[in-house]
Amino acid sequence: MAERGAAGAPLPLRAELAAARLPPLVVAAERVAATVMQGVHGRRRSGQGDAFWQFRPYLPGDDAARVDWRQSAKSDRLYLRETEWESAQTVALWRDSSPGMDWSGATTRPTKKERAELLLLALSSLLLRGGERVRLLGGGRGLSGRGALPALAMRMDAQSGPPADEALPRHARGVLFSDFLAPLPELRERLAPLAAAGMRGTLVALHDPAEETLPYGGRVRFEPLDGGEAALVPRVEGIRALYEERMAAHRAGLAALAASLGFRLLSHRTDHPPEAALMALWQALAPQGAR
Amino acid sequence: MGALSFAAPWLLVALAALPALYWLLRVTPPTPRRQSFPPARFLRDLPAVEETPARTPWWLLLLRLVAAALIILGLARPVWNAAQGEAADAPLLVVVDDGWASATDWPDRMAAAGAALDAAARSGRRVALLATAPSATGEAPRPTAWMPAEEARARLAALRPLPWAPDRAAALAALRSWRNEAFASLYVMDGLSHGGDDGSALMAALGDEGSLQVARGVPGGARVLAPPRAEADRLALQIRRAPGGPAAEAAVLAMTPDGRTLGRAVLPLPAGATSAEGALELPVEIRNSITQLVLEGDAPGAAGVMLLDERFRRRPVGLLAAQEEAADTPLTGALYYLDRALSPTAEIRRGTLEQLLSRRLAVLVLADRPLAEGAETQAVARFVEQGGLLLRFAGPRLAERGDSLLPVPLRAGERALGSALSWERPQNLAPFAENSPFAGLTPPAEVTVSTQVLAEPVPRLAERSWARLADGTPLVTFENRGQGRIVLFHVTANADWSDLPLSGLYIDMLRRIVALSSGVVGSEGEAPLAPLETLDGFGRLGAPPPAAGPIQAARLDATSPGPRHPPGWYGTPGEGGERRALNLSAHLPELLPAAPSPSGARETRIGGVPAERDLGPWLLAAALLLLAADLLLSLQSRGLGLRARAAVVALVLLLPAPAPAQPGLPEGAAALATRLAYVVTGNPQADEVSRQGLVGLSDYVNRRTAAGLAEPVALRPGQDDLSFYPLLYWVVLPDAADPSGEAVAALNAFMRNGGIILFDTRNEGSGEGVSLGADAALRRLTRNLQVPPLATVPEDHVLKRAFYLLPDLPGRYAGGPVWVARDTDRANDSVSPVIVGGHDWASAWAVDARGNNPYAVMPGGARQRTLAYRFGVNLVIYALTGNYKGDQVHVPAILERLGN
Repeated sequence: MAERGAAGAPLPLRAELAAARLPPLVVAAERVAATVMQGVHGRRRSGQGDAFWQFRPYLPGDDAARVDWRQSAKSDRLYLRETEWESAQTVALWRDSSPGMDWSGATTRPTKKERAELLLLALSSLLLRGGERVRLLGGGRGLSGRGALPALAMRMDAQSGPPADEALPRHARGVLFSDFLAPLPELRERLAPLAAAGMRGTLVALHDPAEETLPYGGRVRFEPLDGGEAALVPRVEGIRALYEERMAAHRAGLAALAASLGFRLLSHRTDHPPEAALMALWQALAPQGAR
Repeated sequence: MGALSFAAPWLLVALAALPALYWLLRVTPPTPRRQSFPPARFLRDLPAVEETPARTPWWLLLLRLVAAALIILGLARPVWNAAQGEAADAPLLVVVDDGWASATDWPDRMAAAGAALDAAARSGRRVALLATAPSATGEAPRPTAWMPAEEARARLAALRPLPWAPDRAAALAALRSWRNEAFASLYVMDGLSHGGDDGSALMAALGDEGSLQVARGVPGGARVLAPPRAEADRLALQIRRAPGGPAAEAAVLAMTPDGRTLGRAVLPLPAGATSAEGALELPVEIRNSITQLVLEGDAPGAAGVMLLDERFRRRPVGLLAAQEEAADTPLTGALYYLDRALSPTAEIRRGTLEQLLSRRLAVLVLADRPLAEGAETQAVARFVEQGGLLLRFAGPRLAERGDSLLPVPLRAGERALGSALSWERPQNLAPFAENSPFAGLTPPAEVTVSTQVLAEPVPRLAERSWARLADGTPLVTFENRGQGRIVLFHVTANADWSDLPLSGLYIDMLRRIVALSSGVVGSEGEAPLAPLETLDGFGRLGAPPPAAGPIQAARLDATSPGPRHPPGWYGTPGEGGERRALNLSAHLPELLPAAPSPSGARETRIGGVPAERDLGPWLLAAALLLLAADLLLSLQSRGLGLRARAAVVALVLLLPAPAPAQPGLPEGAAALATRLAYVVTGNPQADEVSRQGLVGLSDYVNRRTAAGLAEPVALRPGQDDLSFYPLLYWVVLPDAADPSGEAVAALNAFMRNGGIILFDTRNEGSGEGVSLGADAALRRLTRNLQVPPLATVPEDHVLKRAFYLLPDLPGRYAGGPVWVARDTDRANDSVSPVIVGGHDWASAWAVDARGNNPYAVMPGGARQRTLAYRFGVNLVIYALTGNYKGDQVHVPAILERLGN
């Protein structure tokens, strides 16, 4: 199930390989209180965690087992050792599984869907290594830990449908992979509920180079993959400029839509290396200090 | 001129359909290509900016129409220069003379017969073939059964000229017993009478059956190289042909067993002449390595090849002095000068007279040794009678007492010139007369004769003198006796009586006398000689046909070549076995033309008639090409986006071009092992010798040293990367092509970076004169190379002591100089980038597939080959380690030798 692509390796493994060149991603988490779970983010306050935070004088009512005897022996007073509270952010991921995604302009290039899945898993790998939690939109509970990647890949194969999740926690971070070629009103209709639920995140628009340059010629009947109406073009060379104009207009509309909903928009072409997109994602998700 | 005709003209009607095709092609628009495309939404409702033309463009239409027209024309089978076949339906009998005389213009003969077959095939006539020479299996000529012309064409293509004469009488007999229905015939005739049969009977019989066409070649086309006559310094050649031939020039090549040409003589043939004389001037040393004389040309034919066996080469010389014990004393011994003069070119034998005569000798030399009357005189006389050459030198003993085996009676006592009691001065030699075998030699002025024996004045003494003193007294006299000859030098064989033995003239005189002797053939008698290699009809040596049988040695000269005994080499198989030659031309009588054609027969000339050419396949191929182009164009118009690369690939597939064979190794393999390399000369034989030589040397080096060499490799400088190879062996052929600019750059870089090139001109020392022109070729090749100043290899050069201590650097030849960079050149640690020599080292190193050394070394001996290999080892070590060995390894040994 999880095996795709020309490289022959399982997709999770390839995603791990792609992610191996970046440091573990630590998502900036402003809304810590909303997701109260353990993680590696130091919260600048004492709590459950591994790192030492402070010694505090023993107060009546504290559990005697928490007394740090080594520290207490240095003076007359008793001290407790407190560790820093660590918590994790949940990142919701989604990739478009519409028929149009399963297309590539040349046999040498992966389909947009393959690239989207690769990027999704690579990003997941980074996040999991950073101790964050990852969940699929509409795909059940969040996962964490290094071993979660295969499970995530299996869930992703099963996942299809629009980006909607009733169980999504508020103020979650989200990353959405799609070609975003649907009409703009339709996109707004889909994305607006997510934004309303407080999700902030990134839209990754995947494109095949053929979709940008229209490298065909002569008399061609163009057929969309979702069974829509075909377009007969008598002479493709003559309408290339017009097509590019329309495509650019769609892009501009998409950018405006993303900005209005508070999403960040990244663009990625499938003939470019996935690492470039991953790096952009890493920078988009990492806190300012980690850049 | 009407040279173009169609075999299926009714197909041309289809040309009328072309306008309909034009209409069809014109109205059909191209179908759109289907392309799945996710953002197809954006392409809907686009304003039609520019339509793909719905009509096919006019040039594409034209292309398709031309292709269609070509297909129709091609299927109609147009023929250029169609042979005008007989209109009759009678079957056709093609008679071909396939004897030795047909070889020179065999392709023309096949073309003439093939044209007749083509014409017969078009008119659907049946064909039979009759070859007039007995077949290689010895069967008499017999016509084939009637068969379709296509089948007969395969039979015709299988015919080859045979190295013996056709048997027209047997063919006529077979024809008489075979005849059935009336037939037309074509006789492709060689134009000669064979064994008195001028072909008139056969032609008459053919003419009786129906129409007859006789095709003949140019008169005098077949040439015969007659057996040469060995003279002192030349081979007298004769070429014969039938009368009536045009003026021409014939060239005779003298070739070695390995196919090298050592000499070339041009014999002019005036118009109408039936023979031409000429001479091949070759030194005896060179002449001895010749095994065949060949008429120059594509197909000399079996009669144009003269195989030369031992009789032309082997000249055992027996030396006998009066006192054997002192005979070899340097400078004074009786035989000292003789031995030194003759040993390079002849086989010297020593022993008692009885021992010498017990084996076959070409020349018996008696240096002032009187013969005892009785048994000794009788034995020597018998030797002379049977064809031996007795060469005698005068001296005190002979002067005292002559014997019967002298060319002229001698006066008793010697004549002293310039002694204390004489007024006469020592005499010079007179110039040699024209009829003397020494003609052409110039006696040096400083050669004087102080003492001689004098001949009695007998009649015709002058005729018997080959050389005289200035005062006219004979110095060398001769007499023919029986089949042999007696020659007397009136002076001693050493320098006692004259300066002659001290001069180079002495050597030349002796060699010419030895060359005059008849050669010696070993085995005689009843021993059967098996066929070893035989000539085919074209004059090429090959394995004997199965029907060839052995010949008794004594009957070889009387055997006329035929299917049972094809011309070629006969002898005992195995290395060193004796070989005798059976030559066709020795058994051919005078060449006479065949009879003219009978009245009513059509006479045609073969050759010169343009061959008919079937244009159909070419037209179809052109149509195919046009259609392929059309395919590419229409794919392009449908937007398949074919790149130029794909189009080129398609075109390459359509036009198969032979890719030149690339020598060398798979990529990267060159760097994995050390290996020797040679430069490809383009001459397959020379390259094979180089390869075998380097294989042999690599094996030797691997066996003897710690160096591990892999299989050698052939390189083309400028194409192959030279940087992996320490040593480049380069045979310089006289006709070597100049290296290209890239090759020069690559070779200069190779030398600059420490590579060594060994140039081998194969013409130094004992091989002098073998590869004429190689020196000039070497100068040409190296004109642009950065060759440092050269000097001969000094005694203490590393090359002579890198592994073995070598006094000289022999290869197949020995004695010539070897050149390296002068020691003052400090580039690359004084390692010479070039080594130039001419010892043909590769031949000495060469090892064939069976592990033998296929090339004999000259002057010879196992020691020379060992030294050649040792030089090779030193060379490899030198190339691999530079001058490191020069000052290190042999220091103790050298010090010890110096006595410190």
